[in-house]
Amino acid sequence: MEEVFVPAVGMAMDNAVLLEWQKQPGDQVNAGDVIAIIETDKTTMDLTCETSGTLGRHRYAPNDEVPAGNTITVVLGAGESE
Amino acid sequence: MSNDKEWKRKLLRDMVVIRTFEETADKLTLRGKVAGGMHNSSGQEAVAVGTMSALDPKDVIATTHRSHHHTLAKGMDPKLVMAELFAKATGCSKGRGASMHLADVDNGNFGGNGIVGAGVGIAMGAAMGIKQLGHKKVSVGFVGDGGMNTGRTWEAINMAVVNKLPFICLVDNNQYAVETFIDRVTGGRDIAKRGAGFGLPSFTIDGQDVLKVNRYVKEARDRALAGEGPTLINALTYRYYGHNVGEKGQYRTQEEIADWRDNRDPIDRFSAQLISEGLLSQDEYVALHAEVTAQINAAVEFAEQSPYPDLSTIYEDVDSGLLGAKS
Ligand SMILES: Cc1ncc(C[n+]2csc(CCOP(=O)(O)OP(=O)(O)O)c2C)c(N)n1
Ligand SMILES: [Mg+2]
Repeated sequence: MEEVFVPAVGMAMDNAVLLEWQKQPGDQVNAGDVIAIIETDKTTMDLTCETSGTLGRHRYAPNDEVPAGNTITVVLGAGESE
Repeated sequence: MSNDKEWKRKLLRDMVVIRTFEETADKLTLRGKVAGGMHNSSGQEAVAVGTMSALDPKDVIATTHRSHHHTLAKGMDPKLVMAELFAKATGCSKGRGASMHLADVDNGNFGGNGIVGAGVGIAMGAAMGIKQLGHKKVSVGFVGDGGMNTGRTWEAINMAVVNKLPFICLVDNNQYAVETFIDRVTGGRDIAKRGAGFGLPSFTIDGQDVLKVNRYVKEARDRALAGEGPTLINALTYRYYGHNVGEKGQYRTQEEIADWRDNRDPIDRFSAQLISEGLLSQDEYVALHAEVTAQINAAVEFAEQSPYPDLSTIYEDVDSGLLGAKS
């Protein structure tokens, strides 16, 4: 299981805003797919996954603030559950 | 001979400790655990371990913003480094310094800092003190390739030359200053030639070869102790990750990174050498990785469990105490 999370980048660890989901729970995703788009105080950023599998539930909704480091969803491997 | 075997195995282990520490800390930084971020030194292990293994524990170093590898190789317990990255009270700088201010003055580590080139000046000053006091030791100033294009660096080198100080300028040359490739910003393109112009023995060496770094530093140290003055060593190396954690730069190709990782990795090269010389078995190498992973996991656990500095201590260590700043 891979956790897709908002990375803390730069010196200040600020919150990000989840702009939109690009994949839905249950979708088959491939490594490198864009899962969600977030906005930090400097830029918008694509959050991608590194593994292939089935997307888990959305832990945040669009426009939610997400603290840096927090997981927004998971990619489940065969036979895995949340 | 068995001494040689143990010594070489220790060099390998020290490099694996650094790599494992950095890869672990990198992930924790992305998770927001590391106050102020960090500069990952993965790929540059042989420069640090090659240098420290040629020094006496009492020798002095001063380093840079990218200093985890130097600090661990100088002998600091990974727990104290990790706790400092987490800004915890149990860190080597009591949680005041974080990644760029790892120091242990009692053990000759005068610390890292965020001012490019400053480590050279600090180490040169230490060398001046060593000479004044007549101590039998040397001082090493680490600096990046970018730092070799700042004025303060050459001012310090010049002073070391004219005063024949027991000093070594160790260029941890990973070929990039943030996104800038060294050749674009280095007039003459040859750091050792510049050093020669300043009148000190200056060498460009393969910084991915731990034994070579060790040999050049040993010889420089011998010259320094014999009163012959400073040496400049330009060790060519490479950083595998971005300038700071989280950076996704577009300024170098994946092929270039893969070439350094796959063909010149200091740990792969040295472990293969030890295995082919019969100094290490494949099983022992696997076991070494497992031991080091457990050691670094314990360091993370220590950092997680440690408290943050208490607010009531905020005025401590701000000055020597003479100003009565303690609350
Ligand atoms: C005096 C100064 N100028 C600029 C900076 C911003 N800065 C931080 S690291 C860096 C690049 C340093 O490159 P290098 O010396 O090659 O070290 P490396 O990061 O490669 O280890 C710069 C320009 C700084 N910290 N201090
Ligand atoms: Mg550099």
